[in-house]
Amino acid sequence: MVTDRTARIETEALAAEVDGLVEPTEPDGVFRDTRECGAGLLLLGLLLISPPTPRPKTDTR
Amino acid sequence: MIADAASGVALALRGEGDPYALSRFLRQGDALASAAIRVLGADALAPYALDHRAGPGGEDETVVREALAAFPPKPDASDVSVWSYRGLVEASHAFLPGGANQWPPTPQAGSAWVATDPWPKLAHRVSQLAALALPGLASSLADELTARTDDLARGFVRAVRRRDWLQAAGLGRWLARLPEVPPTLGLDSGLGFVRQMCGGDARVTLHVVAAQRFYGRGW
Repeated sequence: MVTDRTARIETEALAAEVDGLVEPTEPDGVFRDTRECGAGLLLLGLLLISPPTPRPKTDTR
Repeated sequence: MIADAASGVALALRGEGDPYALSRFLRQGDALASAAIRVLGADALAPYALDHRAGPGGEDETVVREALAAFPPKPDASDVSVWSYRGLVEASHAFLPGGANQWPPTPQAGSAWVATDPWPKLAHRVSQLAALALPGLASSLADELTARTDDLARGFVRAVRRRDWLQAAGLGRWLARLPEVPPTLGLDSGLGFVRQMCGGDARVTLHVVAAQRFYGRGW
């Protein structure tokens, strides 16, 4: 009898798994917007190639 | 097991390997094999849609009957589940001889969602029914989907951008069947791209190969 009950539970679990595979939920997508990535890269490039901040001259001659 | 069977189907659709027999991959009397057939749906019999049909009373018939008996749609089953079951029944009617015992009747499946679903949801649902995109199967569904070809094309692009290769391949396969796909979509190269990017996923490959074999789209 115990075997029968186990078998039924296994069948129900398998049926639930089949339902899940027949109708899978949509995975959460990871979007990387090309325009946003391009803008970020451009900003980083501009920061890297920008000239140093002008400092007041300390020469007192 | 599902991946192995899907690979076997894809191989047979490409015309490679030994002559196809479903019962060679999924043996009778195995609950997991029945489950795999139910998940693959009509695709389990897709190679028989090409030219060679299974012989009468063969083991293929037995394993399909077992799958249909073991996993019928529940009374509260979703439309996708009923359509998927219906696809397997239709494929059995069409491609397996049936013998003395008749196949189960095709259940009624709702299709109101085709007209009412917003396009992302429609695309997701249709991709789950990719196995029905076989010649001669689910003709009424194909007719209704024709009116929403543009929405499915949007869904294809969205799925590719999301890197959801299974959804993209399923949608691409349906689009390959529909008559008025916009040429600007680039369906052929899109399907090729999906195949390249999926990392050898058996079910994705199966959808792309089916689109190519039955409708001449993709590469």
